[in-house]
Amino acid sequence: MSNEASSSARALASAADSVTSQGGDVMVRLDGVSKSFGNAPVFRDVSLEVKRGEVAAIIGPSGAGKSTLLRCVNALESCEAGRITVGDATISAGDGVTRSQLLALRRRAGMVFQHFNLFPHMTVLENVSFAQRRVLGRSRKAADERSRELLERVGLAERADYYPSRCSGGQQQRIAIARALATDPEVMLFDEPTSALDPEVGLEVLAVMRELADSGMTMMVVTHEMSFARDVSDQLMVMADGQIIERGDPHEVMTDPSQARTRKFLHAVLER
Amino acid sequence: MEHLNAVLSGIPMTLLVTAASFAIGATAAIPLTLLMMSPWRPGRLLARVFTDIIRGLPPVVWLFIIYFGVSIGGFQFDAVSAAIMGLGVVSAAYLAEIYRSGVLSLHEGQWEAAAAMGVGRLDTVARVVAPQAIRVAVPAATGYAISLLKDSAVASTIGVTGIAYMATQDARSNAGGLPVYLFAAALYVLLAVPVAVAARLAGNAMQRKVSR
Repeated sequence: MSNEASSSARALASAADSVTSQGGDVMVRLDGVSKSFGNAPVFRDVSLEVKRGEVAAIIGPSGAGKSTLLRCVNALESCEAGRITVGDATISAGDGVTRSQLLALRRRAGMVFQHFNLFPHMTVLENVSFAQRRVLGRSRKAADERSRELLERVGLAERADYYPSRCSGGQQQRIAIARALATDPEVMLFDEPTSALDPEVGLEVLAVMRELADSGMTMMVVTHEMSFARDVSDQLMVMADGQIIERGDPHEVMTDPSQARTRKFLHAVLER
Repeated sequence: MEHLNAVLSGIPMTLLVTAASFAIGATAAIPLTLLMMSPWRPGRLLARVFTDIIRGLPPVVWLFIIYFGVSIGGFQFDAVSAAIMGLGVVSAAYLAEIYRSGVLSLHEGQWEAAAAMGVGRLDTVARVVAPQAIRVAVPAATGYAISLLKDSAVASTIGVTGIAYMATQDARSNAGGLPVYLFAAALYVLLAVPVAVAARLAGNAMQRKVSR
């Protein structure tokens, strides 16, 4: 009885103190993260939560710091203040970040870049197998088997033995998604995945992302694709002037934004 | 005819000095490049100062320093070792700059893609960066190898019996040195052309490989 009481008291305490707790269903948490390039602040004191299985879209004007924020989640950018948690891996800006902390964080997050960043000297299959062998220590056979499954999933099984330069932009980005999935990440980070593609080709990438979202993958997506943000995401964040100025249900934010800045941005992108 | 034979007999030594010093340089340039590009500031500074001094010294002065100036506990370099060591060190400095520009030609995204997947720095350098940087560096490194072949002629100043040395000897002991020197010049060209052709073929082959 006393056991039960104390455990429910703990649950209450942790619910009340949700900013510092490790809530079981929270996949990504940023606490008071700040970043500047030299003297120019990019964003200040940003906090956010993405739950397991949730798709969070981040929209906003260029230069708002969306991509930089996303790159802080897997520590491609170091931040000056704050704490970043992905799954059960945490790094704090104040403490020196060790290599093993960094590796733990990055193993939990897969990233897809605007410009794909495939390795041009490796075949498609080698691209997808590379980290499996080097990071997870899988055998070539096991890695290639998994890679072929993933390429099948993004509809590119027949491109396995080509070099990336022989694939179209849309195909390259789908390969990059397969590559990011290959290390079995718990969250996928998308940094403007369709911005370098022409609109029609972008659709095939969005279709793969939609399938991924439906399969329950936790996703953070920095994007200018408003219909994707509205229809696929569960949480919409609007970033401007170094802050998340608005967040919530995508339909509500898009149809009835509370901030004038959000209205101005949405007007510019939706009613042009 | 015996003039020509005398000059021809210098070919093996010229090739030995060139190949050996290029091999030393190509190898030593790897750690030098890593040091140049390391996040460790004193290391970068050291590598920078080293390459700038070496590249600033005329090779002939540098060979004299090594041949006449270096004695380590009674040990002194013989002429051939001094030439190979000296030109090897010079090659390392030049090739490190060539490697470095190859690495810098890569898009930052290549490093980031590997880092984002948790691939370690060593694996990233060895398997992502180096294979691409080498493709970029091959033409410049070949150009350097050809100029090294010619520069190996300075080794004749400390008595290394390459083509240039043999030509000088022959010109001195017989009247009328010009034809002998012209023959030596033709020999250098004949040796350089195959190197250039081989490098071009290798470059094309690598290009074909990534455009499949």
